[in-house]
Amino acid sequence: MDMGRVIAVSGKGGAGKTLLAALLVRKLVKTGHKSILAIDADPDSNLPDALGVFVESTIGDIREEFSVEQSRLPPGYSKDAWLESKVFEIMVETPSFDVLVMGRPEGPGCYCAVNHILRKIIDSMTGGYDYAIIDAEAGLEHLSRRTTQNVDDMIVVTNGSLSGFNTAERIKNLANELRIKFKHLYLVVNRANSSHEKLILKRVGSIGLEFAGGIPEDANVAEYNLLGKSLLELPDDSPAVKAMDEIMEKLSMQGGK
Amino acid sequence: MKIPVDVSVVHEGERIRKEDMYVELGGPKVSSKGELVRVRKPGEIRDGNVEVEGPDFDKLKEGGRYPFAIFVEVAGKNVEEDLEAVIERRIHDYCNYVEGFMHLNQRYDIWCRLSKKSYERGFNTLKYLGQALITLFKAELPIIEKIQVTFITDEKKVEAFVNDARKIYEARDARARALSEEEVDTFYGCVLCQSFAPTHFCVITPDRISLCGSINWFDGRAAARVDPKGPNFAIPKGELIDEVNGEYSGVNKVVKERSQGETERFYLHSIFNFPHTSCGCFESIAFYIPEVDGVGVVHRDYIGETVLGVPFSTLATQTGGGKQVEGFLGMAIEYMRSPKFLQADGGWNRMVWLPKSVKERVIDDIPAELRDKIATEEDATDIAALKGFLKERGHPVVERWREVEAVEVPELEVMPVGAPGGIKIILQNAKIHAEKVIIKKIK
Repeated sequence: MDMGRVIAVSGKGGAGKTLLAALLVRKLVKTGHKSILAIDADPDSNLPDALGVFVESTIGDIREEFSVEQSRLPPGYSKDAWLESKVFEIMVETPSFDVLVMGRPEGPGCYCAVNHILRKIIDSMTGGYDYAIIDAEAGLEHLSRRTTQNVDDMIVVTNGSLSGFNTAERIKNLANELRIKFKHLYLVVNRANSSHEKLILKRVGSIGLEFAGGIPEDANVAEYNLLGKSLLELPDDSPAVKAMDEIMEKLSMQGGK
Repeated sequence: MKIPVDVSVVHEGERIRKEDMYVELGGPKVSSKGELVRVRKPGEIRDGNVEVEGPDFDKLKEGGRYPFAIFVEVAGKNVEEDLEAVIERRIHDYCNYVEGFMHLNQRYDIWCRLSKKSYERGFNTLKYLGQALITLFKAELPIIEKIQVTFITDEKKVEAFVNDARKIYEARDARARALSEEEVDTFYGCVLCQSFAPTHFCVITPDRISLCGSINWFDGRAAARVDPKGPNFAIPKGELIDEVNGEYSGVNKVVKERSQGETERFYLHSIFNFPHTSCGCFESIAFYIPEVDGVGVVHRDYIGETVLGVPFSTLATQTGGGKQVEGFLGMAIEYMRSPKFLQADGGWNRMVWLPKSVKERVIDDIPAELRDKIATEEDATDIAALKGFLKERGHPVVERWREVEAVEVPELEVMPVGAPGGIKIILQNAKIHAEKVIIKKIK
């Protein structure tokens, strides 16, 4: 089976990473892709809302359920297989993409074993899709410990401010420390102001990230967020959506299969 | 009959999305489903035969969910009933080798999907699936000489099948639960927690589950088979050195290696001398209470102070970190159900205090005559109250108090302070009252 491409989107809270993750899924869906997995790996974000999907249970819920169930499972019953089935069960399947939510962080107690098994399951699962888009928290906690180490590309989303660039640099350093090997480390600037492009490019160059483009301020996005409307329904001519063409090209994600 | 799709290990992990599925067989939304392997006599098997009881793929409505059972019968000179569970687990692997067929879970919980694509390519009968299974079983497990496969989709028949299968699973589980250290020659190690405690690792035996309660001997065996160099690995148990304490030469050898020299030996079933180390991940802690010469247990969810006057978290600091600390043992609550539970220390006869919720969980495993003699937080929250309770109820440890009082304290051989190697003083079952202890360098 061909391994798909796994892309993590990270950035500080409010920087717009959920927006970018949702727009990536939107673009893939619109270009006819059908094998897409969206993973919400940030307990503070709301990727399912942005995709117009309701998710009932999370990986965190499975972890807690397992801690109670593990002593009740019969000795000859495989825990790995039980967990794998649970992961499939909580996944929301829409006609063109699936959604998995990592959920709340673990409570006290030992999760070494269950996390080890879940990591194997999720790693193998993300590989089963043409595209897996992960909305990852800035601390990369899920990348270092839980979700997956098999991330091909990382996109850091930032606003155009100095602190935004500092965050981007921190994420890059953290990824190095965690020895996560990305094929590409991209930067996308949200609410980009085209008159600052030169300055932005200079900053991007100095921190050693590949610039994948900017998303302009978009009144539709703000309105959809407020109304709780799915970003998949944004009109094609909305500024943020239009900006995705260039970004997709930079990410070499053009064209449907 | 040529299978119209590819059958190969490369299709393992292939995901069939709801949108792409032709039919779903079993799964969380279908109540009757199951799979079973049985060993038969060669004469009872029509080798290579595949039966379908109930509607086949071409009779099922697209997009529907249906009851489903997979029944595999095998025979061979060296195929014994004990192997049924192992062979049964392969159904999952081999089904997933089939392009466009997905298989999840096990036993009465199987969940399968057939893709539209494979159906359209002519995979329109379960006979193809049976044929693929038969070919794979024979190729990968040559001990299987004869094999036949039956698929059931008729709801009533699946239901009856699963009812019968449950009895077989239960019998298997009963055998597994009865398995003891004496009957196996391999234990399993687990180093999943070494990122937290680099010198700790768990020894998992049929009588001793991992401290976190997640990995039993069967889990260890399954994981080590798949990835022998992974975090779960085989430990040849070696010679039995001490039956009561549970000391094995093979275990000690691995203890030295895996603890990075920190620890030399493990007693698998004692809290004294050379207890098993703990990571930080244990479900509960067994702790020695010298004042009553008994053992207490507290679990992670217990809020408040134990009978020692300190909470779980304080005891956890003492216990964890991969250090061997006498009188403190991190353990799974499930270990309290083991027939070898702290057997060297007297087992349940030594247990004097545990939280009520734990007591309720393991009540069936506490010998009946001890059930009302073991205190909970409702009976005692300090040592004085505990002493009174144990005396009043006639707990077996009370007998030990008299014995201790009568015991002669042997002369201690004290090595000079500062000598190479240092000294280790172990005072077991001792009651000492001293106004002052003075240690002086001998001139």
